[in-house]
Amino acid sequence: MDILEILSYGFIQRALLAGVLIAVLCSVLGVFLVLRRLSLIGDGLAHVTFGSTAIALAFKIYSAASLLVSLPVVLLASLGILRLTEKARLSGDAAIGIVSAVGIAAGIILASVGGGYNVDLLSYLFGNILSITREEVLIAAGLFCVVMLLLGLFFNDLLAITFNEELARVSGVQTRLISSVLVMLTALSVVLAMKLVGIMLISSLLILPAVSALQLARSFKACIGLAALQGCCSVVAGIFVSFITNLPTSAMIVLINLLFFGCACSLRRLLTPGNSN
Amino acid sequence: MKRRVILIVLTVIAMTVFVLAGCTTEKAKPSTKLQVVTTLFPLYDFARTIGGERAEVTMLLPPGMEPHSFEPKPNDIIRVSKAGLFIFTNRYMEPWAGSILKGIERKQLQVVDAGQGIAYMKAAAEDEHDHDHGDHHDDNHAGGMDPHIWLDFGNAALMADNIQAGFAAADPANATYYRANAATLKVRLTELDQRYRAGLQECATRTFLHGGHFTFGYLARRYGLEYRSLSGVSSESEPSAARMAAMVRQIRSSGVQYLFAEELLSPRLSETLAGETGVAVLKLHGAHNLGRDDFQQGTGFIGLMDQNLANLQKGLACRVK
Repeated sequence: MDILEILSYGFIQRALLAGVLIAVLCSVLGVFLVLRRLSLIGDGLAHVTFGSTAIALAFKIYSAASLLVSLPVVLLASLGILRLTEKARLSGDAAIGIVSAVGIAAGIILASVGGGYNVDLLSYLFGNILSITREEVLIAAGLFCVVMLLLGLFFNDLLAITFNEELARVSGVQTRLISSVLVMLTALSVVLAMKLVGIMLISSLLILPAVSALQLARSFKACIGLAALQGCCSVVAGIFVSFITNLPTSAMIVLINLLFFGCACSLRRLLTPGNSN
Repeated sequence: MKRRVILIVLTVIAMTVFVLAGCTTEKAKPSTKLQVVTTLFPLYDFARTIGGERAEVTMLLPPGMEPHSFEPKPNDIIRVSKAGLFIFTNRYMEPWAGSILKGIERKQLQVVDAGQGIAYMKAAAEDEHDHDHGDHHDDNHAGGMDPHIWLDFGNAALMADNIQAGFAAADPANATYYRANAATLKVRLTELDQRYRAGLQECATRTFLHGGHFTFGYLARRYGLEYRSLSGVSSESEPSAARMAAMVRQIRSSGVQYLFAEELLSPRLSETLAGETGVAVLKLHGAHNLGRDDFQQGTGFIGLMDQNLANLQKGLACRVK
């Protein structure tokens, strides 16, 4: 298959563009989330989005407008996860589990109470990387700019609370505010990106590039750079491999990320022969 | 203070849920009529016609839901166990029907497999995506058989026969009444078939392209249309980039003006394909299920199929007589 021919399709161009933006975004956020033991927050918030979309559909709000319902609900849920870890002294995975289960339960109950919908909810909830519209590329670009800008602004504080929250607090960082910023940026990205490329891709891009980069990186900045690079490469490679092998695109991107992770693990063992765990 | 507010909110929510739950249980008054539970919409509609005033017919699937996303609730199982007649389409379409029946005392429950005696068609037999997807994508419908049998109206008439036989066995006292209603239904199905035959006779193109999963195979075969769908028979399967591109080439080379998409499902992929090739998207109803509004308006199977015919005639540029 000729590369130029592959690139001649508009949907491939948009998939590459929006896919790379979202991949870099998720990979960078992922480094912070993995280190703060909130890796599964993507899945958790996706379930909450399911619940909130059910609210929107029950009021006959479809398509783009349902975001106006989903977004505040999911933002609140992300803060809820954070408060649960602080107030109830739960670990991140338990807090995410609670919020995620409640989100999906609320959606199912609302679906029963509402007496069904005019459309199939699940088919509307998740996008597909091959069906991104022009407007959605702009949404992805906007999201990318906003999240990157805010991460840049709060970078030093985020770094401080990620490695030692106590120390950060003592040295005057507003830890609660910074944690809230992190989870709310995640919530924003999950809600918007899920509609574009589907949840499987989002949650894998939040985890896999970050854990691979953590195997190799010597500094935090290098780690973020490596994660972003892997996210980016996996999307581009995934789209082309999916074209050549004729297999579903998002699943292929996830597998390529796994491959990168395997390589990163082996590479670390080779580089540090003395203490190979 | 904060806690009290939360408590009040929770109480209000709990009360609303109980009131709503109360509403739904009130509806199920005990009745002497034959209680019939059906799974999908075509069966519901046929059973409603055949049962007339002497049976109470309900549908298991909530409006709008794809049959694959469905999971029976405890209440659904209770409804089936209290019914006198349970009708499902076939084991390819509702793999969960068997698991409902397993847990139920079946002595007084008559079970109808509406697809009994119908010659099943292999899903996407000679199509390009047959070997693309292979069997692993089709495990939802064992053996990759196409379960959408009601979209061949000859099959629909056979299904009406099967349903009528079930009614007669469950309630022999009213057998002649049910038989008369089934006969009327079959006449209407035959008329529908004739409308399709006549309406799809002279068309500019016989290529029927669908940007979704394989649904309309039976319909296309009956009226001699060449049907191609983006993905295989399982609604969970996702297309690959190569399959999308192949579909784009197919749309361009066949010169069609319209791409079809299925009602109830998100038309994202169809719209992407249409945008790529500059064709328009037309909706067809697979009739597995209805949207809530259509359901409340009492829309029937034959009405839906007439809408489909109008859209097919538009999409294939047929001469309308």
